[in-house]
Amino acid sequence: MKKTGILASKELRAYFTSPIAYIVMILSLSVFNVLFYMIIDQNREAVLRDMFLLMEFMFVFLAPIFTMKVFAEEKMSGTMEFLQTTPTRNSEIVYGKYLSSVVFFLILLLLTAPYYAILEFFSSPDVPAILTGYLGIFLEGAFFIAIGVFTSALTRNQIVAALSAYVLILLLYFSVGLEKFFSGTPQALVHYLSVMGHSKNFFIGIVTTADLIYFISGIFLFLTLTRIAIENRLCR
Amino acid sequence: MISAHNVKKYFGNNKVLDIASFEAREGEIIGFLGLNGAGKTTFMRILTSFLPTTCGDVRVCGYDVAKQSLLVRRHVGYLSEAPPLYPDMVVKDFLRFAARLKDIPARQTPAQVAKALDLCNLNGVASRVIGQLSKGYRQRVAIAQAIINDPKLLILDEPTNGLDPLQILDVRKLIKNLEHKRTVIISTHVLSEIEEFAQRVIIIKQGRIIKDHSLAETPEAAGGAKLFLKLRGKRPDIESALRVMPDAAVTAMTGDDEARAVELDLGKGRESYNELIEALLRTQVQILEIRKPSPKLEDVFIRLTKGPTKEGQSV
Repeated sequence: MKKTGILASKELRAYFTSPIAYIVMILSLSVFNVLFYMIIDQNREAVLRDMFLLMEFMFVFLAPIFTMKVFAEEKMSGTMEFLQTTPTRNSEIVYGKYLSSVVFFLILLLLTAPYYAILEFFSSPDVPAILTGYLGIFLEGAFFIAIGVFTSALTRNQIVAALSAYVLILLLYFSVGLEKFFSGTPQALVHYLSVMGHSKNFFIGIVTTADLIYFISGIFLFLTLTRIAIENRLCR
Repeated sequence: MISAHNVKKYFGNNKVLDIASFEAREGEIIGFLGLNGAGKTTFMRILTSFLPTTCGDVRVCGYDVAKQSLLVRRHVGYLSEAPPLYPDMVVKDFLRFAARLKDIPARQTPAQVAKALDLCNLNGVASRVIGQLSKGYRQRVAIAQAIINDPKLLILDEPTNGLDPLQILDVRKLIKNLEHKRTVIISTHVLSEIEEFAQRVIIIKQGRIIKDHSLAETPEAAGGAKLFLKLRGKRPDIESALRVMPDAAVTAMTGDDEARAVELDLGKGRESYNELIEALLRTQVQILEIRKPSPKLEDVFIRLTKGPTKEGQSV
């Protein structure tokens, strides 16, 4: 797994040598700052619950932007052939690229830490609820990134990769609204697949094994599918 | 170094490769020739473990390309048709990255990078961003990544493709420096390049090897040797002298009685033309010039790749 680290650090450097990373960060933080002010001003509560709900909605749109080039660009430029003809396992390539996107996302998330500091300065916020909220938003973002990495591995076209990721993520995000069209086991399945159903507990300070399993297994499922996709000739 | 037997590759129902047998020894320099879509790149990709075969046995350095692909890739340096470069990376950072991916220990990496920079004459641009380099330099960087791990087998897929004449000369000079002590496979459309580098030529057509010969043998084996004569004399005398070689065909006859240029195809397998000289000397014809031009690889290539392939011709 040493090569996972080598690939991740190269990818992370690539993120920060392109202006897109800075643009995404500045725009996201600007929006978060405005929303944070509005929420605190309106609710007058020392909680980040509503902030997490808005951040999760934002990440639905941001994750495909982080990830659309991960494999699509490599395939377009021919560097995928270079990576796959070095003595590097396909799983190391997938984990390395995924890790870099997750670290980038984590940096963006850490830049929102001052919101907690502000709450702490003016009030006494519920620290465990904020920590579990951050854990939830991190797992959810990491799950969306795994989906984006997977769709990027299916095509050479970054736009197609991003659009496919949007479709999958939005289906999982809004599937809670589809529940009424089903009954019995299918309804239970749609309910289980809903991302919102699993993330909301984290935002109110509850961590359940079921929710952890949902996100972690979802991440590994999409990373496994990504590995299969890059091994498959049709996706090259 | 390489052994491939009964190798077949299908894309869907389309058979793109059907190689009965192919062997390459250590230190051999082999040129792959073939039209676009002949199967050269597919075969090269199989040798690098990038593509699996549909069936057949392929071994590189004694390792099975399907079952021991990591070991195979450790010994192979590969330059793909599209130079595999990251335009945002600095040259030496990219080479360091390639070295680490190719299992070169961290302690040896700086030395290997320096060696590759030296060999490829890249020291002057080592700190520059790849995207800002000329196409010729970018190709050098791509070659540098292919040799960074001192591979036993170096595979170069159209290494001078898209370069200007000066850049082509530069890259050719560089490749000549790399040939020592390793097996090299070069695929190119520039036939003179094969003549310059290779000891052995493999001509591939519709996925089959239709010619596998050392470069010196190839022209003669592919068809008749040519003979060029410049003669002074009457046409009927010349024609009657030519009749002593019934297998030879006159491919061109121009000029007048003072100086007539005659071009002959001596026929398959035939190299001597003593009887023709004797016949000409018996007439009033004066021989002004006799020349036996070496057939060019280009002629051989065109002759062999024209028309459909016969079943069972693969070597």
